[in-house]
Amino acid sequence: MESKFTEAYQKKSEDCYDTECEKVAHILDSLVDGEASSDEQEFFNKHIESCVPCLESHQKQKLLKNLVCGHLKRVIVPETLALSIKTKIQETV
Amino acid sequence: MSEQTGKQMSKEEKDARFEAELLPVLDPLYNFAYRLTLDEDDANDLVQETYLKAYRFFDYFEQGTNAKAWLFRILKNSFINEFRKKSKQPAKVDYSEVEGYYNTEDVEGESGVATTTDMRTESVQDLIGDEVASALNALPVDFRTVIILCDLEGFTYEEMAKILDIPIGTVRSRLHRARNSLKEKLEKYAKSMGYNGE
Repeated sequence: MESKFTEAYQKKSEDCYDTECEKVAHILDSLVDGEASSDEQEFFNKHIESCVPCLESHQKQKLLKNLVCGHLKRVIVPETLALSIKTKIQETV
Repeated sequence: MSEQTGKQMSKEEKDARFEAELLPVLDPLYNFAYRLTLDEDDANDLVQETYLKAYRFFDYFEQGTNAKAWLFRILKNSFINEFRKKSKQPAKVDYSEVEGYYNTEDVEGESGVATTTDMRTESVQDLIGDEVASALNALPVDFRTVIILCDLEGFTYEEMAKILDIPIGTVRSRLHRARNSLKEKLEKYAKSMGYNGE
């Protein structure tokens, strides 16, 4: 039983999706991270010509990424840190 | 201790290269440490420890290769191997648990009104930043890590796989789950601010 399940699962993860939308959901992160292959990108571009929900979920995913990279404040490095690293290194060598 | 064989650099050379190639990563490295530990002092210690290790193993670092990824990997390993065990303070709050409590009780209702009135005093940008930070901090550390590496530091999946010592497939699935989880937390906030996600 279990092996049958695993088989089916693995088959699915090898580019075998029930619907096009399912495939889009699977490559959504790669698309927003610029990690999608040109085939994937092309497939997506074609698909969204006729699928508004997938276009929207892509936009949402992009928005989420932008929230983190655009709004998360960077913490300021303590001024003394660089110096104390150098000092420590000289002490231990 | 180190023998001066022909190929090895002099100490001056080593120090100069160390400073030129590794110290410029201090800012992102400290930010990463802070997002992992959620504590400034701990981040300080972790970064110092990382640089000490990097200096010790500097001979293994190939010049011109990705210094940032190399340091991030050392820091991540230090965090897992030593730091977590060393800082055994039981008082350290498990943020995901605490956030869980607040989220269930306080998101809807009055709190939404309270946050909107605050917008007059604090800039909206700051407010969004704070909210993103607290949503992110509430994620389990493995989820937090992939989001920081990918979205804040712009590492590729391949670099992330090397830093974290996991297969690329795991990077993908972890990032996917992390984003779902972050989305959930932020959507609650968005609703309380009057966005419908449309």
